[in-house]
Amino acid sequence: MLGRNEIYKIDFVLVIAVILLVFLGILTIYSAGFDPIDKVNNGLYKKQLIWFIVGFFIMVGFTVINYQFLGDYSLHIYIFLMVLLVITVIFGTPIRNTKAWLNFGLFSIQPSEFMKLGLVIILAKYLELRERDISHLRELLIPTLLTALPMLVILLQPDFGTAVVYVPILFTMLFIGGADVSHLISIVAIAAIAIVVPMVITYREWVGAVGTNFILDFFKDTKLIFIVASVFFVIAITTFVLHFFLVGKWYRRVYIPSTVLSLGFFFSIIIQKYFKLYQKRRILVFLNPELDPHGSGYNVIQSKIAVGAGQFFGKGFLKGSQSQLGFLPEKTSDFIFSVFAEEWGFVGAVVLLVLLGIVIYRGIQIAIESKDKFGALLAGGIVTIFFFHVLINIGMVLGIMPVTGLPLPFISYGGSNLLMSMIAIGILISIRMRKFVY
Amino acid sequence: MLATIRHRLLEAFRTRMLILLGIVTCCFAIILIQLINVQLIRGEEFARKSRMNMENNIPIPAARGEIYDRNFDPDKKNVVIVSNRPSFNVTTVPANFRDNTKMEETVRLVCKLLKVNGDEVLKEIKERNPWERVIIKEDVPFESIVSIATHRDKFPFIDWEDSSVRVYNHANMFAHVIGYIGLISKEEYAQLKHQGYRQYQRIGKSGIESQYDKVLRGRDGYIRRIVDVRNRVEAEEVGLEPQAGNNLVLTIDYGIQEAAYEAMENYMGAAIVIKAATGEVLAMVSRPDFDPNALISRNNYGIIQQLLNDPTKPFVNRAIQSRFPPASTFKIVTAIAALEEERWNPSTSLFCNGSFTLRGFVDTIFFDYRVHGTLNLYWAIARSCSVYFYQLGLRIGPTMILSYATHFGFDQRTGIDLPGEITGFIPSKRWKLRVFGQSWYDGDTVNLSIGQGFITVTPIEMANLIAGIVNNGIVYRPHLVREVRSPDNRRVIQTFSPQRQREIPISPSTLSIIREGMRLAVTGGTCSQLSRLPVPIAGKTGTAQTRSNRYEEESQHGWFIGYAPYDGPPERTVIVVVFVEYGRGGAAAAVPVAYKIFSKMIQLGYF
Repeated sequence: MLGRNEIYKIDFVLVIAVILLVFLGILTIYSAGFDPIDKVNNGLYKKQLIWFIVGFFIMVGFTVINYQFLGDYSLHIYIFLMVLLVITVIFGTPIRNTKAWLNFGLFSIQPSEFMKLGLVIILAKYLELRERDISHLRELLIPTLLTALPMLVILLQPDFGTAVVYVPILFTMLFIGGADVSHLISIVAIAAIAIVVPMVITYREWVGAVGTNFILDFFKDTKLIFIVASVFFVIAITTFVLHFFLVGKWYRRVYIPSTVLSLGFFFSIIIQKYFKLYQKRRILVFLNPELDPHGSGYNVIQSKIAVGAGQFFGKGFLKGSQSQLGFLPEKTSDFIFSVFAEEWGFVGAVVLLVLLGIVIYRGIQIAIESKDKFGALLAGGIVTIFFFHVLINIGMVLGIMPVTGLPLPFISYGGSNLLMSMIAIGILISIRMRKFVY
Repeated sequence: MLATIRHRLLEAFRTRMLILLGIVTCCFAIILIQLINVQLIRGEEFARKSRMNMENNIPIPAARGEIYDRNFDPDKKNVVIVSNRPSFNVTTVPANFRDNTKMEETVRLVCKLLKVNGDEVLKEIKERNPWERVIIKEDVPFESIVSIATHRDKFPFIDWEDSSVRVYNHANMFAHVIGYIGLISKEEYAQLKHQGYRQYQRIGKSGIESQYDKVLRGRDGYIRRIVDVRNRVEAEEVGLEPQAGNNLVLTIDYGIQEAAYEAMENYMGAAIVIKAATGEVLAMVSRPDFDPNALISRNNYGIIQQLLNDPTKPFVNRAIQSRFPPASTFKIVTAIAALEEERWNPSTSLFCNGSFTLRGFVDTIFFDYRVHGTLNLYWAIARSCSVYFYQLGLRIGPTMILSYATHFGFDQRTGIDLPGEITGFIPSKRWKLRVFGQSWYDGDTVNLSIGQGFITVTPIEMANLIAGIVNNGIVYRPHLVREVRSPDNRRVIQTFSPQRQREIPISPSTLSIIREGMRLAVTGGTCSQLSRLPVPIAGKTGTAQTRSNRYEEESQHGWFIGYAPYDGPPERTVIVVVFVEYGRGGAAAAVPVAYKIFSKMIQLGYF
């Protein structure tokens, strides 16, 4: 299957970038696992190395097999992973109160990681099949259901962070798959209004804001919101009915925004009224960790200290006090970037960002160059996974994104994520190698 | 056709991928900007915070300087008045725990081990800034430290620091001179925190300890410990070596102090021994006293309250903080005024029949304590004849007498190097008019001329009066510290040379008349007990009435002021002032005290 000609088509830049990233990751895991007081290492770096070696061969395997094969069996893969997820929720080994792992004795697997890839494959296939109809709103239903199903199961684990990342992946897939942008924006807008309004109210009550602000005071009363939502609803219905009798496209400009506003406000009333106070506060803390300086805010504060203390050249390998002396939480997984940035400084962090940027850029290039729609969408989806992980993880570490337990691809300790990422890279290479076939 | 649609869709896809690329680029740019912000712009700030995370600075208290008596010799065994004993404090920084229940649990456990009240410690912790080090117990026995050190897992964040306990070796004898140290109060801390004082430090509260606190305290050092999040120690180094405080050599002679202290044993009052030519205080005793060792512990509130509420006022250093009428000792001032301003002939004799009648709208009779017959000024001083001085006082008038009282500084601090000194009081015509709405009566003058009435003095001011007489009008500032020595005593850092404080314009002939009168008081007058000693002493007694019934013995304060040797040069002259508060028999109580002090000084070879 893989001839001499095809070897040259392998994207060596991508492969080298990935290998470098994993190498830096293992180095950082070594550093994070080192205890400077007892002078011992917890040995996680060895495990990660084994995962990498295994992952490398699997990556090669996925390079060799034709990715079209994945498309043909996308539903099978999806169902298989769903079953695994359900099994995990029921029989999984709870680690820190989360049943996210399936224990196989020697190693354990986190199906929710692989589900990200499974979801991208099935979405790519679906969007390829429906590429001509996707601009219709109703076509968005099935991708949404396909995403919501694993999300719900993952929320039951409960692994909020992993579940949340499915949403931007879905939206980006829909976007590159050709969905109507106004639909996507409308959905995002509805969700934003539905969340922001009750959050503003909760926040103002929590911090005991004083003073009058006309708009914010307006939000305080759900009855007022209800009236406004109803008004927009009436406008939306009226314009919708009118457009059957009138000529022109102007009605879209009225009924889409009014529908968005009315639905957004309606949903916000639901959240405001039926969510418990602690639930709303938890969302608020998720959005702004600094409201909870002893909980998740503590992690962010320590993480920023670690990154900032690295300054330009870093403190040097094994010399990062924040990580070495344990002030940094989750230092081998979620906050590994802080460990790296503390020890290697701005220089190291930029190198890391460049390497991650190369992977994403190459992915986008492969997606654009692919002449086959499934391959293009698949490559785009894989890039999306990487991109959001990088954005959310580093954003969290730097304190500009909510705290979600998302790993940094190739760097964070964790076999499942590394394996999934390696498979994804294998698929990318496979897509690139075969772009000339079609 | 099919191909075209396919192509168009692919083109649309590529456009959207390019938009995605744009979004990705923007996000990377935002991350880069935040990275620049955190690492480069705010890097210093976060580096400092990371140091704060891992550095746990444990103070090393500086050894407080020791205090010796005047006979200090670095090569010999010395009288150590104040020293230190090494000890340990158990401390913690509550904020390190991050978890309040865990903190309370651990603190209670430690308190149980150290046998202290956990509730009190926790109450104190709650009142303070959690990042500040809290001392759980001071002066912890070594065994307890060992058990804390071996169970670091059970006592996380519990540290110990070297410390020392102040030991007042001659506790009560030096209580008022030395004073004591105590925990810095909130007010003191607020005032002194910019001068390197920190909370939990001890600071001199009174006496020399307070006056010379900056000399004695030295500078604390600290151990910089690098700790991990569980406070396990990774590395330890001395961040700053402590600098021990300097030692003080007092002007006080332990032998005289001891003799004076013992001589005053049954009395309230004060005794001062001072060198005329330098102002060096050889002894200063105030009774009743207290034990400063009992006051240095942290829980001293009860005992301090008890001492403060004691009606005999043991905290008051009567030598410098109490004022009483000078009584007959003031006759010296009246005599000086008369000799200087009236050209009074000391040989002028007046008759004393035991009382003096002041003629006026209503005649007032002023009594003397006995009938003296006819006597001149020398004998009037020696026998303390009041009738003589009544007449003398009326002759010269109050203005002159009061002006000499002012010359001698009875209304001014002597400037002794002790905190809290008060002044005596000199009345005036204007003062009397203001306070009583009355003019100055002749009766007031009569009273004034024998040191009764409104005028009051402190014992140290009386010492200065004698100093002026002995030194031909020159008075040196009384002081208690002779020199400051380095912590190893090898180097003298500062010596305190005599400071001339006032020069009183009195002619030598006047002074020699006074001295003669005072000598006569010893050889054949009120303090003839002292004539038994083999050194020529000159003196003057006084008995101050405080209540109307002058015969009530308990209501009299006794004074003795004097010096020896009478004929020696001022350099060798030593002044003794004894003041006995409510002494039995007034001056009769003060003279024996002076006798004991003089005989001790003879024994020590002062004359």
